[in-house]
Amino acid sequence: MRIFWIITWHSIRRHLTYRAAAWAGLITNIFFGILRAAVLLALLGARAELAGVTAQDAITFTALTQAIIAYLSIFGWYELMNSVHTGQVSGDLLKPLGLFRYWLAVDLGRAGVALLLRGCTIMLIYAAFVPITTPPTPAHWLALAVSLSLAWYISFAWRFIVNLAAFWSPNAAGVGRFAFGITWVLSGFFLPLRFYPDWFIALCNATPFPAMVNTVIEIYLGLVHGQAMLYLLAQQVVWAIALYIAAQLILRAGIRRLVIQGG
Amino acid sequence: MFATLAFHWQIYRRLIGAQLRAQMQYRVSMLFEIAATALIMSLFFVSLALVMQRLENIGGWNLAQIAFLWGMVETGFGLMDMFFSGFDPAFFGRRVRQGTFDELLLRPVSVTVQVFGDQFVIRRLGRIIQGLAILTFAFSTGDIAWTAAKIAYLPLVLAGLVLYFGGLFIVGATITFWTVESIEAINVFTYGGSEMLAYPMHIYPDILRRTFTYILPAALLNYYPALYILDLPDPMSLPGWLRFVAPLAGGLLFAGALAFWRFGVRHYHSTGS
Repeated sequence: MRIFWIITWHSIRRHLTYRAAAWAGLITNIFFGILRAAVLLALLGARAELAGVTAQDAITFTALTQAIIAYLSIFGWYELMNSVHTGQVSGDLLKPLGLFRYWLAVDLGRAGVALLLRGCTIMLIYAAFVPITTPPTPAHWLALAVSLSLAWYISFAWRFIVNLAAFWSPNAAGVGRFAFGITWVLSGFFLPLRFYPDWFIALCNATPFPAMVNTVIEIYLGLVHGQAMLYLLAQQVVWAIALYIAAQLILRAGIRRLVIQGG
Repeated sequence: MFATLAFHWQIYRRLIGAQLRAQMQYRVSMLFEIAATALIMSLFFVSLALVMQRLENIGGWNLAQIAFLWGMVETGFGLMDMFFSGFDPAFFGRRVRQGTFDELLLRPVSVTVQVFGDQFVIRRLGRIIQGLAILTFAFSTGDIAWTAAKIAYLPLVLAGLVLYFGGLFIVGATITFWTVESIEAINVFTYGGSEMLAYPMHIYPDILRRTFTYILPAALLNYYPALYILDLPDPMSLPGWLRFVAPLAGGLLFAGALAFWRFGVRHYHSTGS
């Protein structure tokens, strides 16, 4: 376990060195946030709310989703894939902890820095300029912390699985773009899931994607309470375990196929 | 003059030809990827359409009208992204960083032509197909009162979009001569701009709308032509001729960007790595 934390620590230090890039990224995040808020407000029009989501909630939705882009690597993550293509993975496989846990440690450092530097800053900037919703009760804050952690774990496991495509295909980046694109929509990142027709919400809920983004949003905005909130968290736990097992099975099959090109 | 142009064209064709051959080596894989790109990008429009079943309009515009804006900007941006990939700041920045831009300077051919021929991403066809599909949807479901003038104006609007975003790519690439890294702020204007133009401009906060009308003429490229083609009133009541200047606005920005690019090339110092 010590090795895990050492790798995480190194990853944190590595990502802390890119502070200038993080600040520049903020500008883009906030610009897109304003565009998305304008679209959502125009969609809501004169309505006071839709499916429990008010105009202020809609603005908060854009703040929150923009804030977790970096934390969850929503636009994609290709590091493991690249390590397979360059052959670096052969060295990583020799490390005294499994490939999954190695990358989990690396990603933990990356995500932690992203959450603090990008995520919190975006929320604070929004809060300084526009009225935004905050979690209604201490229980919601607590659930939010749990949910954010689980969301990261599920998103990591999913990104890990997508990257494993590199063991089978030299064109795994294309698979990645496709898989990550689906994630944007079905997770409730692109538009709030509550705005869709019921059949589409049901379809999304049959996948692990809402557990990455939508659950965090529902809890943060206080759209769920008590038992329903616990149920959402339980769902996240189930998806976390399911994706972990899937990742292990696919990884084992992939390693058996792995041929490192010499040179 | 004519001979130089013909020579440049020949060089460009050769460079692009090499790109095409290389990328079509895995034909099935490439076709699959184009289809996947078209599919995944359409998913965004489809999901907006699903949401608009419950929330019928965006700032008073119905789905078919939004589809027109969306289809135009996606087709235009996709075409630009295919032809101007060499200038893509993220791609070009790598050349500057690694010092491989120097190689282009050593060859006895126009640098601009070489950068144009440096990269041609066939995969972008996916985005173009998606844009055209959404446009087709807009044309078949919205009842547009077509006239000969409107039909003639449509390709000019597309050309304006290609020149506008191409110009922004060139500006972004030129900036990397000084910054070495591609600056992320340029994404606000390129990718942010294409996102912005997919919706009617009057839904945005005043400061944003004014900036992208008067400082950068983005609103003139898609929104004002759409007002003309869809016969919609202008909530800002600006002069009517603004609806017809899209190719001019795009062309001016492109010309300015090329001048900036030439200036940058003349003042280029290699990173020396």
